[in-house]
Amino acid sequence: MESIRREIEVMANLLSSNDMQAELNRAHFRKNNCLAINVIGSPGAGKTSLLEKTLPRLTESLHLGVIEGDIFTSKDADRIATHDIPVIQINTGGGCHLDSKMVSKVLSKFDWNAMDLMIIENVGNLVCPADFDLGEAFKVIVLSIVEGDDKPSKYPVIFRNAKAVVLNKMDLEMLTDVNMETMKKDILSINPQIRIFEVSCRNGNGLEEWVSWLSQEVSDYKELKG
Amino acid sequence: MSLMGGVFEVIEQTASQHNVKKVLQVKLKVGELTNAEPDALQMAFEAYCKDTICEGAELLVERVPVHARCRNCHYEFTVKSMFFLCPNCQNASIEIIQGEELLLESLEVE
Repeated sequence: MESIRREIEVMANLLSSNDMQAELNRAHFRKNNCLAINVIGSPGAGKTSLLEKTLPRLTESLHLGVIEGDIFTSKDADRIATHDIPVIQINTGGGCHLDSKMVSKVLSKFDWNAMDLMIIENVGNLVCPADFDLGEAFKVIVLSIVEGDDKPSKYPVIFRNAKAVVLNKMDLEMLTDVNMETMKKDILSINPQIRIFEVSCRNGNGLEEWVSWLSQEVSDYKELKG
Repeated sequence: MSLMGGVFEVIEQTASQHNVKKVLQVKLKVGELTNAEPDALQMAFEAYCKDTICEGAELLVERVPVHARCRNCHYEFTVKSMFFLCPNCQNASIEIIQGEELLLESLEVE
């Protein structure tokens, strides 16, 4: 029989298998009453540095866990482990972002009897991680101001999808041509509801405000338990 | 590249359900509020097609502009230059109604 040229309507979501697993991860975090956040930023923006400054300020009141996404190494996980916090490394082996299946595979390695906050540090990249839901409650961007004030408008998808942005390396503002007004105006025009924090992980400025916001988010999440 | 993995998962499923011998054309619908870039999709598509029933197939990518609806005044508008305020009442709370899709729309096969 001769084959006939024909069209098949499909209308399938290309992210459906990632999205389905992400919902399962989200249900897991909800069941264990643990706020999960997905931390996204360029290589060198200061994601791990922010974690290193944030975690010790929270360990007195909260049980924490960290999932570290990295292409090949365990350098970031090693830095976190020095703070006596449970940390699991995921190596993507060349992949430029974490996906929900990678995250689901390591969830069993944590003790969920007491876990209040799970921080997932994504692979350094402002592009692909924006499209891949991991099951987190929300995304946080770390952007160092030395990357330039044009970055929000060049990478709008991630700024649209995040709940907060931490502008790091504020101690270098005087040494750069970055225009902080443009930077903040662009961020707010893409996402008028986003929270902006200006910090320096190096000298500690601005960290208290960020840390207290994050602890409040953990409390708010737990109160929603129903 | 990972998105293309999703495309080929769907193609394989569809092909086995519909007794497809060869795929001639693949149509994608890609919202402008995603990071799927047409040139990158094209490259990944060609790489994935090699030695499959899709070898030689054409990839069509339709870009979908971002449309939103204001939650306050219900005005519907096109989001231009990633400026997400309601042009009618300046409200910041808007709902994206189009432009976030990543869909495999249809396949032309024989």
